[in-house]
Amino acid sequence: MGAITDQELLARLPDTLIDHDNKEFYRGWLERRLVLNRCADCGFWHHAPRAWCPQCWSHNVVPTEVSGRGTVHLLIFLHQGPPAPGVDYSTPHPVATIELAEQEGLRIQSTIVNCARDDMRIGMPVKLTWVERYGAPYPVFEPAEA
Amino acid sequence: MFRNPIKDKIAFVGVGSTGFFRDANARTRNDMAIEASIKAIRDAGLGQADIDGVVGTAPAAREIVEALGLPKVTHFSNQPMPLVFGVVDAMNAVFSGAAETVLMYHALYRAPAISRSAANDPFRRGLGFGGSPAPAPTRHDPEVLGAEGYAAWMSRYFHEFNAPREVLGMIAVNERSGAVKNPLAAMREPITMDDYLSARMVREPLCLLDMDVPVDGADAFVITTAERAKDMPHKPVLIHAATNGITARNKEENLDGLRHHGQHVVLEALRAKSDIWIPDIDVYFPYDGFTPITLQWIENTGWCKPGEGYDFLKDNWDEANQRIMIDGRIPMNTHGGNHSEGGTQGSGHIREAITQLRGDAGERQVAGAKNAFLTPGGMFFNAQGLVLRTD
Ligand SMILES: [Zn+2]
Repeated sequence: MGAITDQELLARLPDTLIDHDNKEFYRGWLERRLVLNRCADCGFWHHAPRAWCPQCWSHNVVPTEVSGRGTVHLLIFLHQGPPAPGVDYSTPHPVATIELAEQEGLRIQSTIVNCARDDMRIGMPVKLTWVERYGAPYPVFEPAEA
Repeated sequence: MFRNPIKDKIAFVGVGSTGFFRDANARTRNDMAIEASIKAIRDAGLGQADIDGVVGTAPAAREIVEALGLPKVTHFSNQPMPLVFGVVDAMNAVFSGAAETVLMYHALYRAPAISRSAANDPFRRGLGFGGSPAPAPTRHDPEVLGAEGYAAWMSRYFHEFNAPREVLGMIAVNERSGAVKNPLAAMREPITMDDYLSARMVREPLCLLDMDVPVDGADAFVITTAERAKDMPHKPVLIHAATNGITARNKEENLDGLRHHGQHVVLEALRAKSDIWIPDIDVYFPYDGFTPITLQWIENTGWCKPGEGYDFLKDNWDEANQRIMIDGRIPMNTHGGNHSEGGTQGSGHIREAITQLRGDAGERQVAGAKNAFLTPGGMFFNAQGLVLRTD
């Protein structure tokens, strides 16, 4: 980290609400690294990013890269919705909540790519990959071997 | 925890509604909130000088105070939706003496983003959810948020329990069967299971008939002490128990799971606070903004075990009237719920419960109804419970 300045971060994600709590999460996007908050005292991960550990109330929370491995926990298909780049509601568009391997209940929302619709299901193992959206990298998931 | 010193001490004494409508019309949210408020105050046999508390969702309480010309108000606040947040604030205000008689109001307004006819109304430009000014636009990445959250946890339910879609279809059909007899409802044509199963998918696994419809309209209520209620025009409807509930992991994608969320907190608290429990109730109002919410309430309230909702609803299905009739006796959402009145955020459920307990529900009336059990809100950050009774 550090290569991407705050100015650059804000310039490349102009329509995203970035603040001091989530800036490292989004800076990670630009480096194609999925960075979530982990407590340096008790080791607990949480997301969305907050300044204090919800487990032990430590302020010593460190943005830390995750492996990108996980399983599909929730999965829906949107047949309509507000227009968005790279989102095709006619397919329909899959929206997945991924439970990450790092910790039970540590989840992130995204979509699934490189997978036929009929092969997508809750419980399937996935791994992180990146697509371009709004002119910047965006984390998505694709099938992985179990 | 779970003390209930306010039990039966506060009563609903007035109700007013504009009814709910899908059509574009030339009225504002304020216009409708004021109409419902005037009706509720008049229904209670009161006037401007009698109202010293004002609690509402939107518009701002101070605007309603000004619009109604209320001369002296000592408690006023705005609360989130659904309506039990407001009920708890209003009843506590009366119990504590912060106010003697509280007007509670709720108005709904279709936003251009969710209603085609609203989008065609040039005077709704710039309005967001519920008719409040829309926030500044940001990038959109479809996520499990709000409506999508209910679809997502229903996908999890189907994954865990392998239930058929009819489990939601029975709820949808039940709601519309109630609305047929409710002149305030927006959607009054009955639907069949075939209609449900062939409705187009929107947020799969949820279809068009799994959700409430955007509407315009307003409800209002008057709340005061049970003591004072004895001398008022209508049979008092007492607040026996009320609570809200939330867990640490309450954001849509972060729930611990279908067996631990806000509803479980509500039900534990309500069970401890209330002398009346489900075998004793006469009319039942589980929330139905999305049908999975209703299914979750039914299972979590203990009518049946988790995952057994389909068998429960089938066993308690009144085929002749196309509705749910628990133990052959207890109907559910007799007014058609949010599903058919529109997204009233629970104000419709409360209005109908009061109407039923007063004995004023006309052809929907449940004979001799004395106890009503309401569970407004969803699973994430707005689960609520309310037990109402009358003597
Ligand atoms: Zn910690």
